[in-house]
Order: sequence, then structure tokens, then C-alpha cells
Amino acid sequence: MTEFRSLFHSELNQLEVLLLDMSELAEVQINNAVEALLQGDAELAHQVVLGDREIDRLYVEVERRWHEVMARQTPVASDLRLMSLILQAGHSLERMGDQASNIAKIVEATSTLPTNRTILLHIREMRSIVVPMVETAMEALVKRDLNLALRLPELDDPADWLNRNMWKEVAACASNPEMLEWAVHMMLVSRALERVGDRAVDIGEQVAFLLTGEQHEFPEGWVPAPGSA
Amino acid sequence: MTTVGKPEVNEKKRVDLNVPMETTTGPALETFAMEAVGLSAYYGEFRAVRDVNLSFRDRQITALIGPSGCGKTTLLRTLNRMNDLVQGARAEGEVRFHGQNIFDASVDPVELRKRVGMVFQKPNPFPKTIYQNVAWGARINGMKQDLDALVEHSLRQAALWDEVKDKLDESGYSLSGGQQQRLCIARAIAVKPEIILMDEPTSALDPVATLRIEELIQELKVNYTIIIVTHNMQQAARASDHTVFLNMDSDRAGYVVESGTTGTLFTRPARQETEDYITGRFG
Repeated sequence: MTEFRSLFHSELNQLEVLLLDMSELAEVQINNAVEALLQGDAELAHQVVLGDREIDRLYVEVERRWHEVMARQTPVASDLRLMSLILQAGHSLERMGDQASNIAKIVEATSTLPTNRTILLHIREMRSIVVPMVETAMEALVKRDLNLALRLPELDDPADWLNRNMWKEVAACASNPEMLEWAVHMMLVSRALERVGDRAVDIGEQVAFLLTGEQHEFPEGWVPAPGSA
Repeated sequence: MTTVGKPEVNEKKRVDLNVPMETTTGPALETFAMEAVGLSAYYGEFRAVRDVNLSFRDRQITALIGPSGCGKTTLLRTLNRMNDLVQGARAEGEVRFHGQNIFDASVDPVELRKRVGMVFQKPNPFPKTIYQNVAWGARINGMKQDLDALVEHSLRQAALWDEVKDKLDESGYSLSGGQQQRLCIARAIAVKPEIILMDEPTSALDPVATLRIEELIQELKVNYTIIIVTHNMQQAARASDHTVFLNMDSDRAGYVVESGTTGTLFTRPARQETEDYITGRFG
């Protein structure tokens, strides 16, 4: 096959590479933010807050190039759908970086308060769910793998469940006002991790749109229509 | 005295999400102005277009796109039997217009071309005045009506009246390229066609004149069915309601790969062949 738009398609590839850079950084940032919480490591938390600037910088670069490509190349069909994915996935990854930064700031703000082991285990488990979800979403993109993208809602379920039940653990800390203050902050951490999972599902939906041309939020049991693009 | 009253509330029109975007400006009921059925076009032994089955929607803009040599122009020129004028050209199959096959012996091609007008790639005004250019078709067809009113009406519809109303006696050649093309559109409109065929009508025009013609086409579709051949895919995407993609076989016979609403064809084409062509991966 002859390629008549090699410059344009090379620009699209570069945008995808930027997304992958963002996702790798986002994963590291989320891991480190939770690690700082588990270890009570204020220095690591500070590094995470500073590290968010790099994700923001990459996102600004994605947006700048995205606008240039749109203005100059007028993409259509699967190229247009990929452009849509790049912008939305870029935004999702940038927000994941923000969530990591928010967790790190909570670590700094609660460093003098007593902690609760059960809640920490809950949060560690949530991390072990949502960080691989980000990896799975990006793998689905790189491999153009619809089945992998479709698995994301199911991977997200345990994270949602843990987040919904976090309040019970927080309520169990009610007898100790200082620990309760810390635990209430942990609800925010739980919520931030749950949002990371949701963002990974969003990226999966974008991958499904790229591959099928069908625009859907993943409901329970969604499968693309037969013969879709 | 000015009365200060309650400010009017600018209520935004609600968008009906159940209606696809590209059909919101179309007629309420889908009707077809013309249909090609099993249409093939030949130049001598060479088959330029094979087995075309297409329905052109009434008062909508249909764009024909495809690589050079795929038979877009041949197909267009077959729709009003303009190709009859080319030696060795012939057609098989049918083109139905008002229920009649235009290739029937009883059909007068001159009468057909009056009802299915054509605008060409290069503006081709006659070496006459602006007025005479527009009035010409009506005169030779013996149309008995107020020619001044017809000329004004046609020039207004072609969005040219304001620019030429004070110089109707000047030569058509005195106009710019874009104005000349609008003059040719006014000339086509003056004989009151139902369908206007346009063969790359902006390929000889600058970008501003091109956009002006595209705007004009949008206005014209209220009254006319428009079928336009364009090499410019972005023009098809901008200006048409429906798009037909043609490709050609190894024997260079053009065929229809896919047709559909322009919005769908340019976002999620059904055929890989279309996807490859419009994304520039054509081979």
C-alpha cells in the first residue's frame, strides 16, 4: 500500500508516543503517592507534588501539537477518531497525575496524625487494582485490542467496591478524634484512586471508539455491533 | 420616546438528539430526484464506469469523490446525456428521472439538459453581456416571461446580483473568475432546472471564491438537487450532504465503493477501501 500522508501519520505516531510517556509517568506518580502514604515518607510525597509538573508539561505539548495537526491536516475516519482519543486520553492522564498530586498533598497535611492499618491495607489494595488498569488501557491502545479495552469495567469493579465501603473503616475510627481526622482524609485518597480507575475505563472507551467507530460509555455487557468499523 | 421593557429572553433552539445532524436540514420525507440503475458508461470498447446503482436525494447535495480516472466526470455527464456529444460514448442500464429512463428514444436530450443543468470546471461565460449570458437560455428555449425579472431572480439566487446590478451591459468576461462561475450558475438556474450537475466547479478558483461557491451551493439546495464532482475531499466534507466514493478496477473501469451521509462516510466509513482512500493510505 502506498502511503500518501506519511508526515501526518508520523505526527499522529508522535502524539501516541507522548501519551505513552504521560501514562508511564502517571503510573509512577500514583505508585509513589500511595507509597509515600504507606511509608509516611513526606520527602517522597513532596517529589510527587513536584513531579506533576512534568505530566502537565507533556499534556500542554500534546494539546499544542494536537491543535496544529487539526488545523493543518484535517484528519478523517480512523485518523479523526485517533485524534479524539489522543485529546481525551491525554486529559484523563493529566487528571490522573493531579490525583497522585492530591494524594501526596494529603500525606504532607496528615503527617502528624495517627494512622489505621486496615485503611492503609484498603488503599494499598486499591492501588494494586487501578495502576495495572492504566497499563491495560494503554496496552489496549498500543495493540489496538478491543477485547482488552472491554475488560476494563470488570477490572474497575473491585476498586469501586473498596471505595464505597471505605466509610465503614472510617466510621470505625470515630472513637479517636485525631485518627478520625486522618481517616476522613483517607476517604479523599480512596476517592482519588477510584477516579484513576474511572479514567482508565474512559481511555478504554476511547480505544473501543477508535476501533469500532461506535461512541459509547461502557455499560454492563456492552459489545460492539457486528460489522462495525 | 424609547420604552425600556423586559429584555427578550434569547431561548436557544433545542436540538433533537434523535435526529442525525446531517439530516436536520434535509426535506422531511426522503425522496429521490434521480436514480441510476445498473448504469455503465463506455467510450468505444472501453468501459469507463460499471454497474452503478445510486439514488440521488431530492434537494440535497451529493458529492462524487475518487481518484483521477475513476469515472466521476463520466458518470456525471451521463446523468444528463452530455456524453451523447462525445463520439463513441454510450451508456447501458438506466437513469430514472421522474419515472422515465433518460435513455429512452422518446426523451429529448435537449429538454433533459434544460431540466438537468450543468456547471463546468472552468467558468465559461459567453462573449456577451452579463444580462445576455443569463437571459440566453430562456431566450433559446422560448420562455415567455419578463426577462428582466428572470435575470434579476437568477443573479440573486447565484448571489451575484448586488455585485453586477449596475453593470449588466458589461461583458461577462469583465468579471473575476469566481464571479464568472456564479454567472454560469445563474445561467444554469435561469432555465429553471430541477437538478444541477457541477463538475469540479471551484477547481479554477482561489480559496475565497471557492468558499463563496460552497456557501452558494448550500443556499441553492433549498430549490435544487445538486450533484457535484470534486477532487477536493475537504470540499466534499464541507459542502455535501451525501458522498459517493468511486474507485477503479485493474481494467480502469470505475465503480461505486460506498455511498452514505457525508458525516458518516468521513468519520466511520463502512468499507476499508474508502478508509484507505480518505486517510491517504490509497494504493
